[in-house]
Amino acid sequence: MVYGCYSMKNTVILSPYEVVYVTTLVTGFIVLLLITIYYALRSRRIRNTSVYLSGEPESVVSSITPSIASLYWGFIKKFAKSLYKVLVERVHTGSLHDWYKFLSSWFSLLLIIAIIAFILTSLIG
Amino acid sequence: MEISTLIFSITIFPGLLFMVSLAFLTQYLVRKLSARYQRRMGPSYVGPFGLLQPLFDFLKLLRVKEIVKTKYSMIRAAEFSLILGIAFIISSTILLPLSPYNVAGEFDILVFFYMTSIMPIFMLIIAALTTPNPYTNIGVSRLLSVLTIAEPAYFASLVVPVYLATRGKTPFMSISNTYIYVPNLWLQASTLVIMLLSTLAYIISVQVKAMFPPFNIPEAEQEIIAGFETEFSGPILALARLLHDLDLTIALIVGVYVLLGGPAPFRHFSVNGAIVLIIKYTILLLAVVTVKNIMGRYRIEQALTQIFKYGLIPALLSSIFALVIYH
Repeated sequence: MVYGCYSMKNTVILSPYEVVYVTTLVTGFIVLLLITIYYALRSRRIRNTSVYLSGEPESVVSSITPSIASLYWGFIKKFAKSLYKVLVERVHTGSLHDWYKFLSSWFSLLLIIAIIAFILTSLIG
Repeated sequence: MEISTLIFSITIFPGLLFMVSLAFLTQYLVRKLSARYQRRMGPSYVGPFGLLQPLFDFLKLLRVKEIVKTKYSMIRAAEFSLILGIAFIISSTILLPLSPYNVAGEFDILVFFYMTSIMPIFMLIIAALTTPNPYTNIGVSRLLSVLTIAEPAYFASLVVPVYLATRGKTPFMSISNTYIYVPNLWLQASTLVIMLLSTLAYIISVQVKAMFPPFNIPEAEQEIIAGFETEFSGPILALARLLHDLDLTIALIVGVYVLLGGPAPFRHFSVNGAIVLIIKYTILLLAVVTVKNIMGRYRIEQALTQIFKYGLIPALLSSIFALVIYH
């Protein structure tokens, strides 16, 4: 069911490429129009000032590039909380045993996978 | 159709003059309704009921106020970027059925989305970065963070109804063809849920695009001064404000057509149809302003989670339902 008496008599149906061409041309026309209006109307007054830094001098931001380590820890602490929790509670507990247990468990798993892969490769060729 | 109709469409209605006027009216309504929510008067003195306040604010910034420039500012680049963003929004109106010279074609919703959602934001970001400042950089990074989640939600909330409405019809995925069949989508049980999910995703993502609370993180005054627009002043600030208002206006217009069926149950260019269009536009605007005024600002990580939950997930669900039911 279609409501009302709709018609598309005001509509020009074009191919997708032609739609892009037409809209781009129209955009270009509007840009020229807006530039003309804008530069005719805008205020000509310009005041030079320093960068707004809440009253601080520029030197406070001259070397604020964060280090790679800060970015890494920022990412781990903010977005990989569960991984960070594992690192703190299971690996870096202060006990060397915990660290060795964690690493050896994963190394063992990797070793088993490597052995299985080796056997399969040998059998299948 | 004649070239004069095309010129009329892009310069007068619904092009430059109409869109700029509607953007000012939308800004007025946002300010007035927000003021009433907060028991203030809002704009009251300039023009009848304060209606001309946004126009006078714009003219004052454009003609009277000075451009404040630092040695790092690239004023011309900022001006050109903002003008280009405005031009993309205004020229997109020829893709709307509202235009007396309406251009349509298969997949024109993608062209429309590119012109009204991607390019304006991209141009705003370029303009912000041409006036560098630490607060600007933080504002831009926040804007990019929230839009990374909100834009896909906005896109899906529009594309799904367009797909459902134009399935098996010519031109496929065209806005001009969509609004005719949208009322049917609200009346069928199978598509009603999809339309509700799309509308929810649309409201949330428009809130983010307009940078209204609770998602006004990119311009949070108490934290990062004015965020991405910290170094904007005078005529550049006027252009940035106009671009923001036009962005909201075009998002509401396309919402009226794609989600609410445009002038349905009446026809275009009739008095009843125009009244219905105004009512639907006002309802969507009221929804956005209400959310703006009953919510406080989220922190960035809270906002990302909320946009994901209430914007992206409904949009994804509606897409999945649409594909499962109709593909």
